[in-house]
Amino acid sequence: MANLQEPRWIFLLQVASVAMMWVFVLGIAGWILHLLNLSHELQDVLSASVGISIVAIPVFLTGASVLTYVFVGLRRGREKDPDD
Amino acid sequence: MSEAHRLDQKEWLEPEFQDRDLLRSIEDSGVGFRVTTGLLMLVILTCWVLFGRQILYGLGVTGLNQPVAWGFYIVNFVFFIGISHAGTLISAILRLSQAEWRRPITRMAEVITVVVLGIGAFHPVLDLGRPERALNIFTAGRLQSPLLWDVSAISAYFMASTVYLYIPLIPDIAILRDRGAWPRWFYSFAAWGWQGTPRQHAVLERAVGIMMILVIPIAVSVHTVISYIFAMTLQPAWHSTIFGPYFVVGAIFSGIAALLIIMIVLRRIYHLERYLKQIHFDYLSRLLLVMSLLWFYFTFSEFLTAFFGNEPSEMRVFFYKFSGPYAPFFWGMVMCNFVVPVLILSFRRTRKIPGILIASILVVVGMWLERLNIVVPSLANPRLPLPTGFYIPSLVEWGMFAGGIATLILGFVVFARFFPLISIWEIQESREQSVRETTERLESYLPDRTRAVAESGSGGD
Amino acid sequence: MTRWGMVIDLDRCTGCGSCIAACHQENNLTAVGAPESTRDRGFHWLRLLREVSGSEREAKVRYLPQPCFHCDDPPCVRVCPVHATYLSEEGIVAQIYARCIGCRYCMAACPYNAKVFNWFEPEWPGEMRNKTNPDVSLRPKGVVEKCTFCHHRIVKAREEAAMQGREVEDGDVTPACAESCPAKAIAFGDLDDAESQVSQMSRSPRTFQLHDDLGTKPKVYYLAKTE
Repeated sequence: MANLQEPRWIFLLQVASVAMMWVFVLGIAGWILHLLNLSHELQDVLSASVGISIVAIPVFLTGASVLTYVFVGLRRGREKDPDD
Repeated sequence: MSEAHRLDQKEWLEPEFQDRDLLRSIEDSGVGFRVTTGLLMLVILTCWVLFGRQILYGLGVTGLNQPVAWGFYIVNFVFFIGISHAGTLISAILRLSQAEWRRPITRMAEVITVVVLGIGAFHPVLDLGRPERALNIFTAGRLQSPLLWDVSAISAYFMASTVYLYIPLIPDIAILRDRGAWPRWFYSFAAWGWQGTPRQHAVLERAVGIMMILVIPIAVSVHTVISYIFAMTLQPAWHSTIFGPYFVVGAIFSGIAALLIIMIVLRRIYHLERYLKQIHFDYLSRLLLVMSLLWFYFTFSEFLTAFFGNEPSEMRVFFYKFSGPYAPFFWGMVMCNFVVPVLILSFRRTRKIPGILIASILVVVGMWLERLNIVVPSLANPRLPLPTGFYIPSLVEWGMFAGGIATLILGFVVFARFFPLISIWEIQESREQSVRETTERLESYLPDRTRAVAESGSGGD
Repeated sequence: MTRWGMVIDLDRCTGCGSCIAACHQENNLTAVGAPESTRDRGFHWLRLLREVSGSEREAKVRYLPQPCFHCDDPPCVRVCPVHATYLSEEGIVAQIYARCIGCRYCMAACPYNAKVFNWFEPEWPGEMRNKTNPDVSLRPKGVVEKCTFCHHRIVKAREEAAMQGREVEDGDVTPACAESCPAKAIAFGDLDDAESQVSQMSRSPRTFQLHDDLGTKPKVYYLAKTE
């Protein structure tokens, strides 16, 4: 394989997919915080919401971080293209 | 210099390299794939048309009523999510314990999880009286409700298992990219620039290492939280503290059985006999045997507790299952989950692929019956002096069940068309590295040599 | 603080069922029809529980009119995923029809099976549409509903009292079931008002509740010489 770099537009698509994944994960985190706020407003039992937030949000953030780490790590770990 | 070095290493660029069989489903796919996909989509379309009646007229077209307000949709919800535990949990635990025999199994296991999780997670939406208001969960949800715990846990599991499927898939996607599989742009996009350099391998291994640890508590929490939907109510036979562990054990149990069925079927269809050998089935079916015994232990414990307490509401449900209208389903479940599989799997003579297939199918059926036995009897036996309820599922409900299974099969067929069902790079890694690593590991278990022996050289070898 | 409750005197109740008819009329409940009823789709906010005891020769039947008990610790409220059912400040377990997604978790959780579901779109054939009570909203298919202690009558009584420049007094609010009962077996009022009729009756030695051992804290009391 002489050309080790994929075309630019594919690279941008990859970055976009990672960005979309972050949008999803941050969306979920935001949603959970919204529900936490709602239960505070409605004087519902707060402890359950807080408990779930503390567990769920870090899980999602970890998943997104791992995926980003892989993406960045793979790009960094490439051998330099002699044509570069 | 480096180019030639890399090309030498890339044996998979040879048209017929030694693991070529694993790419047949992708590179040699033809009419078979199209016909199968077409048929499955026809089945799924029919089921959706049936479901149209429910959208149009309401949940009245099902067999649900008061008191049995939950039926097939919830049973199948729990059932499908239960099967999802096969994958990621098994693949994670086997990776964690460095069991080398996992290598041809992990990919299929991870695919089951992702596909079945999607199907299962959609079932509560099918069950809603006003599905268009499902988004109220996002605007006005209550995290205090076990249903919302479910939404959180299942979303987390779906994300984690998709990541856990994708990351080890990357090197195989790169193989397909390098071989020019269609569509080129897709494999190039999905391979994330993989070249197989040592640094990239290190990144991949570290990421898989983190995910395999993360995935286990998430998977355990998912089915625990599903059990809480029932256990957090006050209904007889639901309000039981054993439900969390019981459901997790049941899920792993049904998951392994589903994995075995899929392995046996795909092995035949895609000619993977060289990779999925008797020993893989032997080990997995021993795990299935252990889970069967564990399942029986939990079930026995639960029913003995109820029986010994002799509380009236609990006993009504108990006898409804033991000797009442649900006796065929209850005893059928015991036969399918425990009696027959233990008989088949305990003896080496019957623990061969045909026997394993029968046992696994029985377990999957039995576990579905278990979900039915959990959902309906408690609802059908209200505490108040009301007539005992009944539930006869309608065509729509059967249809959606069939649709769910068809979607599972379709998911696999489509996956096999674009990705290898067995992890090629992990097989290659095992050839090159694992034999040596495992030998070293085994030698480290042996007692240390004494100084005298060490100094006299390799004396008694 | 007002806490609405109900007392039903079983020694007066004859099991005539006019409370049920009145509830249907007042709260716009449709008739589901015979075929649906045989499929266990009977649709009542207030039902008549039939307790049969004694032997075959001397059977004793007792009827309990059973509305929603408006528990002070409602299992249904705990499990609702969208705040569609909630406990109001005055002790009414209310239902927001517009928000209910029809998951029926509250139906599965209620130990008294007090909630009912609209399995189909309620139909008001022909002239029947004209008999609906304008004070009570019509519900669409796919949502859960239940007895509201005729909350619209509470609101009306409050408005009338406000117009007369006073507070709501004991006896101002009468749900449809209590109003229609020929034996005057049902009483309704503020349990927190020590002087109110329901308050005094709930302290009678004849009082019992259904399954209060579950901790639901129901606010409907039954009076009977024998339990």
